[in-house]
Amino acid sequence: MPRNRLILLAGAAGVAVIVVVLVIVFAGSGGGSGSGATTSTSTTASSGSMFAGIPQHGETLGSPEAPATLTVFEDPQCPFCREWNLDTLQTVIDNYVRPGKIKLVYRGIPIIGTNSIVGLLAIYAAGEQNKLWNMAEALYRIQGEENSGWITTGAIREAAAAAGANANKILASYRLKATIAKLNAAEQQATASKVGGTPTFFILKPLGTPTQLQVPGLEPAQFTPVLDAALQ
Amino acid sequence: MRLRAAIAAACLVGVGIAGYLTYVHYTHTAPVCTTGGCEKVQRSKYAELAGVPVALLGLITYVVLIAVSLRRGVEAALAGVLIAFIGVAFSAYLLWAQLGPIGAICQWCLGNDLTIAVVATLYVARMLTESPNT
Repeated sequence: MPRNRLILLAGAAGVAVIVVVLVIVFAGSGGGSGSGATTSTSTTASSGSMFAGIPQHGETLGSPEAPATLTVFEDPQCPFCREWNLDTLQTVIDNYVRPGKIKLVYRGIPIIGTNSIVGLLAIYAAGEQNKLWNMAEALYRIQGEENSGWITTGAIREAAAAAGANANKILASYRLKATIAKLNAAEQQATASKVGGTPTFFILKPLGTPTQLQVPGLEPAQFTPVLDAALQ
Repeated sequence: MRLRAAIAAACLVGVGIAGYLTYVHYTHTAPVCTTGGCEKVQRSKYAELAGVPVALLGLITYVVLIAVSLRRGVEAALAGVLIAFIGVAFSAYLLWAQLGPIGAICQWCLGNDLTIAVVATLYVARMLTESPNT
């Protein structure tokens, strides 16, 4: 075995390591947050929807001037989140959001599994059309078994159609950096707020700090008294 | 000749893996995944280098390695070794990212790790056995 070739091999290994380290250091590892597409406020007007007539802007549902904010951490695969959205959200909207008492802020995080990420990115992408809350609700309506891989491109198209959103636009943007950045930001907020499961609710009043709602159940009769107490 | 053919064949496997991941990246489709971590890895900041998908970088690397395998001589073998070693080093960095900061494993990345390791080994064997005039 030629000795000089072994030396060349060792040299090549050294050069390779140096090249990779330099590339990683100088090129960075991406992670830019993108330009953050600006969206204008729109009023959802899909007939028969619980969101009809409620201002929706990105992740926020309700009047921007509402004095209190209810932040909801959710996962589209989470059955309890489905229960809250389909059983109680209507009551919260009618009694608190529509009168301008509170606004809702969506914070979707992947708790159940990686298939949640696909759904969450589609939900955040729908936010660019100011249809985020419609999209989240539509996905809950077709929710499948946890981690069965039910959130497919077909499911996203089906939910988008039900939400009155443009499915092609969602699929074109749901893997963009700006969309991913929203999910990453929600995960970071969840970690900072020590969110251990979904759904988790935080109420923020003027001049206050976010306080987690300790709800005994997710049905309206169990949820609204806790919300009332928090708003006083 | 056999070694060069083996290198080209292994690189074709790499082209398949990297090509699929590049396709997934640009068509915004979900990758087929049995390890459950592909989505998380794909949306991590490690999936791109200076705005270029690492899958595309891998695809280009394998194409270059195939081209190098078609040429004879120690110089070509050394060039192949150097490029393959860079590929191995970068794959090691990405494997560290999966096990550490990302906290998820992508089966396609593991397949690529194995492939580039095989290619590098074959190139080393070629480097040690190639005669100057063949």
